[in-house]
Amino acid sequence: MKKRILSVRWAVLPLLLLLTACDPFRNNPRPEPEPSPDEVEGYAPVYSSAEDAAKITSTDVRPIEKGGKIYVKGNMLYQVEVGKGIHVININDGANPQKLSFIHVTGAQEMSIMDNYLYTNHMNDLVVLNIADVNNIQLVDRVSGMFHLVDPNLPPAAGWFECIDESKGVVVGWELKTLYKPVCRKN
Amino acid sequence: MKSLKYIAFIILTALAASCDKANQSTTPNSSGGFDNNPGTGQGGSLARFTIAQKHLYVVDDMKLHAYSLDNPSTPRLTSTQLIGEDIETIYSYKDKLFIGSQNAMYVYSISDAGHPDKLGTASHVRACDPVVANDSVAYVTVRSGNSCGGTLNAMFVYDVTSVLNPKERNVINLETPWGLGMAGNRLFVCQGSNGLAVYDISNRYYPSLRQRFYDDTYYDVIPYNDLLICMVKGGMLLYELKSDGQILKLAKISG
Repeated sequence: MKKRILSVRWAVLPLLLLLTACDPFRNNPRPEPEPSPDEVEGYAPVYSSAEDAAKITSTDVRPIEKGGKIYVKGNMLYQVEVGKGIHVININDGANPQKLSFIHVTGAQEMSIMDNYLYTNHMNDLVVLNIADVNNIQLVDRVSGMFHLVDPNLPPAAGWFECIDESKGVVVGWELKTLYKPVCRKN
Repeated sequence: MKSLKYIAFIILTALAASCDKANQSTTPNSSGGFDNNPGTGQGGSLARFTIAQKHLYVVDDMKLHAYSLDNPSTPRLTSTQLIGEDIETIYSYKDKLFIGSQNAMYVYSISDAGHPDKLGTASHVRACDPVVANDSVAYVTVRSGNSCGGTLNAMFVYDVTSVLNPKERNVINLETPWGLGMAGNRLFVCQGSNGLAVYDISNRYYPSLRQRFYDDTYYDVIPYNDLLICMVKGGMLLYELKSDGQILKLAKISG
């Protein structure tokens, strides 16, 4: 009988320890090694839904929201929409640029063109798009998992960053912006 | 001081690349590309993709991947190799690749285009440092920041007449320099929320400020024929590059 009581006690102790470690009430936060700055340049996650993330297609023109890297060839100007795709713009008349289409490619950050083929990254895959008709682009090839361009867990550089909020979707990229009192930090 | 010389060396390599592009941009061939790499266009200074010698080169954070574009619809991986840490950019110039990281520049030969071969490494101060240059001068902006490291905010002007022995000729303090571009005797320096500065570089080692725009947040520029294409916060700005060196705003692409 005595033996039994002892064993129950031994079982409860580690449980208590676990509870303290988890700090479920968040009333004992770990001290930051460096105080969070009031205002700093840093990375914030770009989100997408899982269904959206899979497809590659031409869509209607859309607003530029988080304009990224730029590329020009002939009369056509391209701007990456960070993590979302590529805007296609005709600049034959520089005073009157015309958006022609938007190429939906989740995770897009980079691009280059050879002839009628546009190379970009679909998250960490290299994809080849035939852009002869920018309103009806065709995925013609994919090289899977070649790069480490998009890390869904951590931003591309050390420093303060905006913490990931999983309720907003999957992380498909990172954008630089001004952060106010950031909490997360990559060392 | 030594590290600045290293930067200069880097610059020269990078400049060689950008200068070549700038020169070629005035003579696009019939396919809309350029003689050196027909069929291709022009990207900004911070690209991780570049096409040269009928190959696509991609740098991720640590590696260089080379793909043959003999059949452009089906790139064929020819090699992958470890370069270093915190790789950020790649430039191509003739038979060389210049790969920029946050603290070094790696130079690779692409004489054998499918299998880039390391020629050398130059270390530099830890910072974001886009570069443009030509045969005689290189301009490098060094920007400090949370994600770049470093404490400098300035533009360095180097005499690169002797490629192996670049000389610092001038330093211009700037607030928050980002990308830059050169066309003829004009130098365009993006300064983030501090706008765009246009310098006359007729005296190439002593840029003189001619125009200043505070209307937007500028990150990068591509001079392209008679256009200046600017990456700004939330989109792009198009300027006409006039023959007298002035730039005239044509349109904003945003929203």
